Amino acid sequence: MKKWIVIALIVSLMASVLTGCSQPAAPAAPAETPEASGDKVYKVAYIARAQADSFAAWLANAVVEEAGKYDNIKLDVFDGQANDDTENGLIENAITNKYDVIIVQPNNGEAQRPYVEKAVAAGIKVITTNARISGIPGSSSVDADPYMQAKVNCDLAVTQVPQNANVVVLQGPPGNFHADARRDSWQKEFFDKRTDVKIVGEEIANWNKDEAMNYMETWVQANDKIDAIIAMNDNMAAGALEVVKDNPKFKDILAYGVDGTAEAVLLIKDGLMTSTSLQSAYDLATSLLDTTNKLVTGAEKEINMDIDCPLITKDNVDQYIEMHKKAGAIK
Amino acid sequence: MNTLDRNKLWSDIKSKYSIYFVLAALFVISWLSNENFVSVENLSNISTQIAVGTILAFGQTILIISGMLDLSSGSVLALAGVLSVSSYKMTGSLLISFIVAIITAVICNMLNGLMVTRFKTPPFIATLAMMTMARGAALMYTNGQNIYQIGNYVVFGQGKIMGIPTPVIFMAVLLVVTWYLLKHTIFGRSIYAIGGNEEAANASGINVNKTKMKAFIINGILVGIAGVLFMSRVNGGMPNGAVGYEFKALTAAVIGGTSFSGGIGTASGTLAGAFIVGFLDNIMVLVGVNSYLQQIVRGAIIALAVIYDIWAKTKRTKRKHGSVEAK
Amino acid sequence: MEIKLRVSNVDKSFPGVKALDKINFAVKKGTVHVICGENGAGKSTLMKVINGIYKQDSGQILIDGKPVEISNPIQARKLGISMIFQELNYMPEMTIEESLFVGNWPTDKYGKVDWKTIRSRTLELLKKEKLDYDPQTKLKDLSVSDIQMLEILKAISYNSEIIIMDEPTSAITQKEVEVLFEKILELKKRGTSIIYISHKMDEIFRIADEITVFRDGAVVDSRPKEDYDMETVITQMVGRKLDSVFQKEEIELGERVLEVRNLTDAGKFENLSFSVHEGEIVGFAGLMGAGRTEVMRALFGLDPYQSGEIIIKNEKIDIKNVKSSIDKKMVMLSEDRRRFGIIPVRSVKENVSLSSLKRFIYRGRLHGEEENRTVEEFCKSMNVKTPTYETSIESLSGGNQQKVILAKWMVTDPDILILDEPTRGIDVGAKHEIYKLMTSLAKKGKALIMISSELPELIMMCDRIYVMSKGKITGMLNRDEFSQERIMAYATEVEIQEGVDLA
Repeated sequence: MKKWIVIALIVSLMASVLTGCSQPAAPAAPAETPEASGDKVYKVAYIARAQADSFAAWLANAVVEEAGKYDNIKLDVFDGQANDDTENGLIENAITNKYDVIIVQPNNGEAQRPYVEKAVAAGIKVITTNARISGIPGSSSVDADPYMQAKVNCDLAVTQVPQNANVVVLQGPPGNFHADARRDSWQKEFFDKRTDVKIVGEEIANWNKDEAMNYMETWVQANDKIDAIIAMNDNMAAGALEVVKDNPKFKDILAYGVDGTAEAVLLIKDGLMTSTSLQSAYDLATSLLDTTNKLVTGAEKEINMDIDCPLITKDNVDQYIEMHKKAGAIK
Repeated sequence: MNTLDRNKLWSDIKSKYSIYFVLAALFVISWLSNENFVSVENLSNISTQIAVGTILAFGQTILIISGMLDLSSGSVLALAGVLSVSSYKMTGSLLISFIVAIITAVICNMLNGLMVTRFKTPPFIATLAMMTMARGAALMYTNGQNIYQIGNYVVFGQGKIMGIPTPVIFMAVLLVVTWYLLKHTIFGRSIYAIGGNEEAANASGINVNKTKMKAFIINGILVGIAGVLFMSRVNGGMPNGAVGYEFKALTAAVIGGTSFSGGIGTASGTLAGAFIVGFLDNIMVLVGVNSYLQQIVRGAIIALAVIYDIWAKTKRTKRKHGSVEAK
Repeated sequence: MEIKLRVSNVDKSFPGVKALDKINFAVKKGTVHVICGENGAGKSTLMKVINGIYKQDSGQILIDGKPVEISNPIQARKLGISMIFQELNYMPEMTIEESLFVGNWPTDKYGKVDWKTIRSRTLELLKKEKLDYDPQTKLKDLSVSDIQMLEILKAISYNSEIIIMDEPTSAITQKEVEVLFEKILELKKRGTSIIYISHKMDEIFRIADEITVFRDGAVVDSRPKEDYDMETVITQMVGRKLDSVFQKEEIELGERVLEVRNLTDAGKFENLSFSVHEGEIVGFAGLMGAGRTEVMRALFGLDPYQSGEIIIKNEKIDIKNVKSSIDKKMVMLSEDRRRFGIIPVRSVKENVSLSSLKRFIYRGRLHGEEENRTVEEFCKSMNVKTPTYETSIESLSGGNQQKVILAKWMVTDPDILILDEPTRGIDVGAKHEIYKLMTSLAKKGKALIMISSELPELIMMCDRIYVMSKGKITGMLNRDEFSQERIMAYATEVEIQEGVDLA
C-alpha cells in the first residue's frame, strides 16, 4: 500500500513538473485548417535536423510562428533526431503522405540528397535550408552562407588583431558542413592574410560550451599571452570567455563567434565579446515561408537565396538585443 | 620464508593499489612532458573540470558495486539543472534552486529504482528508458533553448572558498560522503553483499529491494548536485548539456577498479580513475597533441589501465586460491 | 600391468605456501586410481597441474614413460587427458550435440560448421554408449547426472586414455551413481585409466584398484586397495585416529521453541505441522523432491507461504522476510552454499558479519576493532582455516566456506537453527567438527532442524525424525524407533519414486 502511495506521489510530481511549467512545443499539433476561406490549403512538412539542437529548435519555432501568418499553408513539424536514417525516413513518409512542399533541414546533406531527389521526382516542391543541398535541379533552397558568416568576422579581425598575436581556435564537430566552411573561411580570409598571427591552441569543442571551457582553462595555463579567441560558434566563444572574464591578464582579449545567440549579444553589450554574425532564425523562417508561398502559388519554380549575415558589434548590438527580447530569450 | 612473505605483501600492495600507481606514473610523465602541468592553477583546473563527472561517478560506483548502473545520469543532470536554473530565475533563491535540482534527480532515480525493484526491469533497460525520457523532458521544458542570464547562480560552480573552486569542494565532500557510506554504514556493507551475490545477501537478512532503492536515491542526490554545478559552470541552463556524461562517469568508475560484475569498488579508486582521465586530457592539450590522435590515445590508455588492473588482480586471486587450497 | 601416467617429484609453491611437496605416484593402464584426502590436501592442485591449468615448479609428468610438457587443457586433451570437474559448468541453452562438439566443430572446406556430421556422430556416440537422448535436447532439461554422463561421453569422443573425475558423485542420486560406476567399469575394460577423486569411503572401496592418500600437499601412502581398510584410509587422511562414528550425547529437552501448524504452499507442501524443543535436534528425511528444502525456505522467509501458523516461543509470528526470522533468532544454513551462502568476492570477515551488522555499525560508524575481534573469535571457535580474515571467501575450500557461513549465523546468537544438508560436499574432518558444533549448540539449549539425505547421519544426530514424501509429512519417529528401513517405508509411502538418494 505504502509503495503505491509513493508511486502515485512520484507520478503526480513528475506530471506537475512537466506540465505545470512548460510551454509545450506544439508544432506537431495540427494547426486549424482555414478550409472555410475557400482557398486551397497546401500541406507543408518541415523536417528539422533535431529538436534537441538549440539552433534547430529556434528555427523550427520561428517557422511555426511564421506559418501562422499564411492562411493557405498548413505546416507539420517532424524531428530528425540528428539521425540520418530517421530523417531520410521522414522524407519518405512525407512523399507517401503527399505533402505539397517539404522543407528539409539536413542532418548531413549528402545523406539526404537521394531522398530529396526522390521527392523532387515525385513532383513535390522541396526546399533545403541550413544548410542547403545544392545541385538538385527542381529543388529550392534558403540558407545563410557559412563562409560569409565567418568572413564578416574575419574582415574585422584582420584589422583588429594586434601584430604577432597569439590566438586560440575552437572548432565545431569535424565533418559538419558549417563547421568546416567557417573554419575554411577563417583560414583564407584571416590566417592567410595575417601570417604573423600564431595559433597557440586549436581543439574540437563540438559546439559545446563546457568543452570549450575545459580547453580554454588549459590554454590559459600554457600561455601567458592570448590575444584572441576564434570560435566557430557563439557557444564556444562564450565558454572560452567564461574562463578569462575575471582574469585581468586577459581583459583585452578579443573574441569572435558566429550565430548571434542571446548570450553572445549580451556579451558584446558587456564589452566582453568582440563580434559575431547573425544567423537569424527569423530571417530564415520568413524567407522559407515566402519561398513556400511563391512555389505553391506558382509565382516561381525554383528559388535559391541566401539571407544576410549581418555583423554584430558593440555599435549595433542594441537592435539585436531588442530582437531577442521580442522573442523572449532575453528579459 | 621471509622473502616469500615480503613477496606476498608486495603483490598484495601491487594489486590493491595498482590504479594509484598508474595515476602516479601518469602524473610523473605529464610533469616531465610539460612545465605548465604542475602548477597550482593547472591542477586546480583539472580538479574543477573533472568534478561534475566524478560526482556522477561516485553514484555509478555505488550502483555498480550493487550490480546495477545508471545510463540516465547525464540526461537527469540536464533536467535537474534546467529546472534548478529556471526556479532560480523565478524565485531568486539559491537554496530553493539547489533543492529543486536534488528533488528532480531523486524523483527520476526513484522511478529507476521502482522499475528495477518492483517491476524487475534490468537496470540497463530501466535507466536507458529514463535517459531518453529525462532528456526529452529537459528539452520540452525549455523548448530546446538555453536559459541565459542566470546571475548569481554561478556561485555554485564558479565560486571559490579559501581559494579552492567550489566544484572541487563539492567533489571532496562527496568523496568523503561516498567513502563513509561504503565503509561505515549498514547500507554500504549491504550493497557490496548484494552485488557479490544477491540471493545470498537476501538469505542473510538484507532487504535487497530497499537497499537498491536507497542506492538509486543516493545516486539521485549526487546527480542533482552535479546538475547544479554543471549549469552554474557553463553559466546557463542547457537542456542539451552533459550528453554522454554517464559514460564519462562509468569510465572513471571502471578505471578506478569498480568491477562490472559487482561487489567490488571504492570511492577513492573512482576518484583516481577520474584523475587519470583528467590528467590525460589536460596533458594532451598542453603538449598540443592532434585532436583526432587524442581520442585514440584516450581510448588506448583506458584499455591499458583496465588491463593492468585486471592483470594485477587475477594474479592475486590465482595465487591466493592456490595458497589456501594447499593448507 | 604397464604404467600409463607417472607423476615424478612434482613440486608446486604459491607465495607463502608449499602446495605440492615432491609428489610421486603412478596410474596403471586400465585401472581406477582413487585419490583421497581432506579438502585442501592438494588433490585439486595436482589435478590442475596434470590438466595444464597450473605449471609445476619442478618435477616431471610422464605419459607412457615419456616426459611431457602440459601447458594448457587443450594440450592435455591432445595427450589423451580429460578432466570432469566437480562443479559442472555448462551452458543451459546448448543442445546435447552442440555441447559434445563445442570448441571442436567439424567444418567443411569453406569453414562452415558441418551439422550433418555432428548429428550423425552424436547419434553414433549415444548409441554406442547406450544412452537414450535426443541430440537436440537442451542441457537445461537434463539432470546433473545426465550432464556428467555427457562429459564422460565427450572424454570418450576425444579418445582420452586418462580421465580425471573430481568427486563425480557429490551431486547425483544413488541410482545414478550405479550407472556411473557401470560406465567406469566399462571404460576400465577398454583400457582407459581413471583418476577418481573422492572422500566417500564406501565408494572408494567399491571401485578403486589402487588408492593414494594425500595430506598437506604430500602423498602419505599409495597402495593397492587390498592392502587398505577404511580405518587406515581415514587415519592417513586426517593424520590422527578418528572415530568413524560420532557419539551423540543425551541432552535434556526444554521448552517447545518452535511450532509450525498447517503450513501450506500448494504444489510444494501441504498442511505441515511439526515442533522443535530446546536442546533438540530434529531431522527431516525424505527423497529428493519431497519438499523438505521448500518448507524450510518458507519457514525462514525466503519464499512466501499461503497459509498456516508459525509459533516461536508461544508467540504467533508473521514471517515476512529473512530479516524477521533473524530478528526472532531463527537462522538457516542453505543446502546451496554457492547460491545462497557465500558472497564470493568479499572477505571472510564481511561474510561473517553480514547478518549482524548492527552489532558493529552503530552511533554512525563502523567499529572495526570490535568486528575484527568478533570475527576472529567465531572463526577460531569454528576452526576456520584462512590465511587472513581479509582473504576473499571464494579462495577457501568448501568445508571452510561452510564453517564461515555457520560462523555468520552463530554471530547472530540464534535460538533456532535450520541446517539444510550441512555436511554436503565437505570432508570427514569438517563433518565431525560440524557434528560437534551441533551437539554443543543443543547442549546450550538451542533448537536444531537438520535436513540430510544421508540417513546414517540423521539417525546418528537426531532426537526425532520427520519423514516427508511429496510435500507431506508421512511419519515421525522417536530415537528408539530409528531404522533406515522404517524411514524408507515412510519416505516412499505415497508412491515409489525415482532417484532415491540415500547414502
